[in-house]
Amino acid sequence: MLARPNPSVVIFFLILLTGLVALPFVAGTYPIKLMTRIIILATFVLSLDLLIGITGLVSFGHGAFFGCGAYAVYFVSPESEAANAFVALGAGIALGGTAALVVGAFATLTRGFYFIMVTLAAGQMMFSLFHDTDIAKGSDGAFVNVKPELAFHGTSLLDFSDWHQFYYVCLFVLVAAYFSLFGLVRSPLGRVLQGIRANEVRMSALGYDTYRYKLAAFTVAGMLAGLAGALFASIDGFVTPELFNWHQSGLAIMMVVLGGAGTLYGPIIGAFAYALLEELLKSASIVGPLIADHWRLGTGMTLVLAVLMSPDGLAGFLNWKRPRAIRASSGGPQGENITIRAMHVSKALSTERLSKNFDGLRAISDISIRFAANRVHAIIGPNGAGKTTFINLLSGAIAANAGRVLIDNRDVTGWPAHRIARAGLGRSFQLTNIFSKFSVRENCALAAQSRKATMWRLLDSPYEAPEARAVDRALSVAGMAERGDLVAGEMSNGEQRQLEIAMLVASGADLLVLDEPLAGMGPEETQRVVALLRDLAHDHTIILIEHDMDAVFAVADTLTVLVQGELLAHGRPDEIRANQAVLDAYLGREAKAGAVA
Amino acid sequence: MSLVLIQLLNGLQSGLLIFLAASGLTLVFGILGVINLSHGSFYMLGAYLALTFTGIFGDVFLALALGIPLAFLGGFLIEFLFIRHLYNRDHLQQVLLTFALILVFNEFQQVVWGSYPHSIPAPSYLADSVRLTEGLSYPVYRLALMAICLALALSMVLVIQKTRVGRLIRAAESNREMVEALGFDSRMIFRLVFAAGTALAATAGMLAAPIESAYPGVGDRVLIVSFVIVVIGGIGSIRGAFVGSLLIGLADAFGKVFIPQFSSIIIYALMALVLVVRPTGLFGRA
Repeated sequence: MLARPNPSVVIFFLILLTGLVALPFVAGTYPIKLMTRIIILATFVLSLDLLIGITGLVSFGHGAFFGCGAYAVYFVSPESEAANAFVALGAGIALGGTAALVVGAFATLTRGFYFIMVTLAAGQMMFSLFHDTDIAKGSDGAFVNVKPELAFHGTSLLDFSDWHQFYYVCLFVLVAAYFSLFGLVRSPLGRVLQGIRANEVRMSALGYDTYRYKLAAFTVAGMLAGLAGALFASIDGFVTPELFNWHQSGLAIMMVVLGGAGTLYGPIIGAFAYALLEELLKSASIVGPLIADHWRLGTGMTLVLAVLMSPDGLAGFLNWKRPRAIRASSGGPQGENITIRAMHVSKALSTERLSKNFDGLRAISDISIRFAANRVHAIIGPNGAGKTTFINLLSGAIAANAGRVLIDNRDVTGWPAHRIARAGLGRSFQLTNIFSKFSVRENCALAAQSRKATMWRLLDSPYEAPEARAVDRALSVAGMAERGDLVAGEMSNGEQRQLEIAMLVASGADLLVLDEPLAGMGPEETQRVVALLRDLAHDHTIILIEHDMDAVFAVADTLTVLVQGELLAHGRPDEIRANQAVLDAYLGREAKAGAVA
Repeated sequence: MSLVLIQLLNGLQSGLLIFLAASGLTLVFGILGVINLSHGSFYMLGAYLALTFTGIFGDVFLALALGIPLAFLGGFLIEFLFIRHLYNRDHLQQVLLTFALILVFNEFQQVVWGSYPHSIPAPSYLADSVRLTEGLSYPVYRLALMAICLALALSMVLVIQKTRVGRLIRAAESNREMVEALGFDSRMIFRLVFAAGTALAATAGMLAAPIESAYPGVGDRVLIVSFVIVVIGGIGSIRGAFVGSLLIGLADAFGKVFIPQFSSIIIYALMALVLVVRPTGLFGRA
């Protein structure tokens, strides 16, 4: 999760800010113009970090929204008088945001490489639109004849053609943008965005509609880029289709990564560092005419070296790693705080003739079954029996070809995973699936937050206290109360599996669907988790897949046996043990060896 | 009617040409997992190599004979110096480094060849046009180019499907650890694949030089179009790249004639359409 910058970063930026505020008093027009340009660039690059560093969306078309903002100023500026500054900047935000909303609606459907390409293509389309058609004077670019100003009853309050005034406006926008984004990223909404970057599948299983969140981030970033673009148009009063070009987007990505993605302040450093380096290499009086003529060679080589030598970006130099809290000794029995809790009627789940084919192969055929509330149900069967496919159908991870899934008689067939999660079904995955860079407590907090997942939540209150209680309760139920501050990825596999269960409890799910919760655990850990599951049945319905037969018979109220996608048997453990078909088909060898009986 | 026929030929020709570049890109991405933004630069450098060597030898095909091994060597070297450090890093770092390489290559081109466009003559024995129908003639060089591209595409498929090296490449794509566990040096496989990708892009640039001349930034469009083709065809799929290239070539050729104002948008619209219908591309694996 995004932490407050450490003191060395704060001091660095205080010095930088003081210098920037003082600059107009000591410097001439050229340095002020240069700095204005860099500050605007930094604002633009900062907006991209919300996508790349925070939400994990590598957008290669961000320059398009910058260009939209710039052209918006051209569109709202009258031929021979100044536009209202608020109208001009507002138009930049609006056009940048609208374009981002439209592009994002398509782009955020895709992932990874495809996302990069779709955003790149969108940017190039807008480039072509402004370059090849004459909606804004085509490839030659267009002039904003009079720069925006703010006048009240004829007195000019703010005039963008005054270099000093404009400089301070830009500086104010950058500072305000940083603090707004910082607040946004640390808000409940921002925590969800960081969760999506860390592990989108998990977020969606926790009940978040990740598409909407990604689209929101994309739009906000587009608005800020539009604002930066609107300011940019006021520098020279000139806009050109080149602003949309993929080179702009590429440079912006480069500055984000150069500075340090995901820190918010890093990209600001990146923008300053790159722009100043470029300026330095271009000045023949300092580096000599030969280098100045070929400054791109110098910047290119510097960047290549920067990537190879510092994977964390320049911010990595400032923000050294804080020593981690000493890891609590793990594995000790922590079962004492499992308390007897009041019964709470949970939800039942049933399927009706559920079927799934993969390319004509029947993975699940015609399974009708009812899992009663407040019981532990185990699904067993040989490898390839379709157990995981079956629970993927229950949780909405894949869609069934036929049949229905009902939660408490409510038909949830065909719902997307996040909606089923909101209906009370929480699941874990065969491979441990947590946010490994977040602390244990942060993992559970993200889960707890999904209970009231109204998207535009910027404040913790009024749910802060109930959520903290839910987290505390989940941690103590799972026996992890003392391990809340550990980084999840640094715990043992067994502890991570326990954390997954704690997250499900914190999310308020009634139905817990667990895929091999005991996999890879030692006997002691197994015993603890078996006790935990029995205890959880007080207020949950649990469906689990498990291979450890001793544990299964110890924990389960009912057993369901799947063989080759078909329901072979369903009943109490003693019934299953006596079932000849099960013995033949599945337990046969083990039964003879005495392992089961 | 003759306009349709001409554009059909032009579309096929530019599609076959861009296939060389796109197949290199899809190989490198599919097998190495590296997003190589500098792929377009190799195309550009190929065009300029053709300029220089044609100047010396007087024939673009002799230029090819020297240029292809040189490009292969160059790719080998670039993989060794830069790319191999990126395999375990995330895509962002790859994007950044290969973007920086574009800046370097662009400036290298400026230093060596300057910023003026240069035209490169087609070989004199292929400089004529051939009459296809009444009132329709077509440059012989373009026809020869189509034949060469087809031959190269075929031999590439043969190498990948039928030879031992090809089998290793396919194995490395599906499971790198296993290939290493079997005792093969996957680093060398990667280096060869990257070099081959580079050579393919440069070959496309050299072959195209007599048609579109050599100028700064000639590789930019090729890069973006190649990416679009890789997305349309499905990442890592040579067959997909082939179909995608022809689709894009034809769509572009006919778009230029029938909707000139929006011709540059049409390929992206095509990509969007394919992604809506098949999110992993025409021949991509889910």
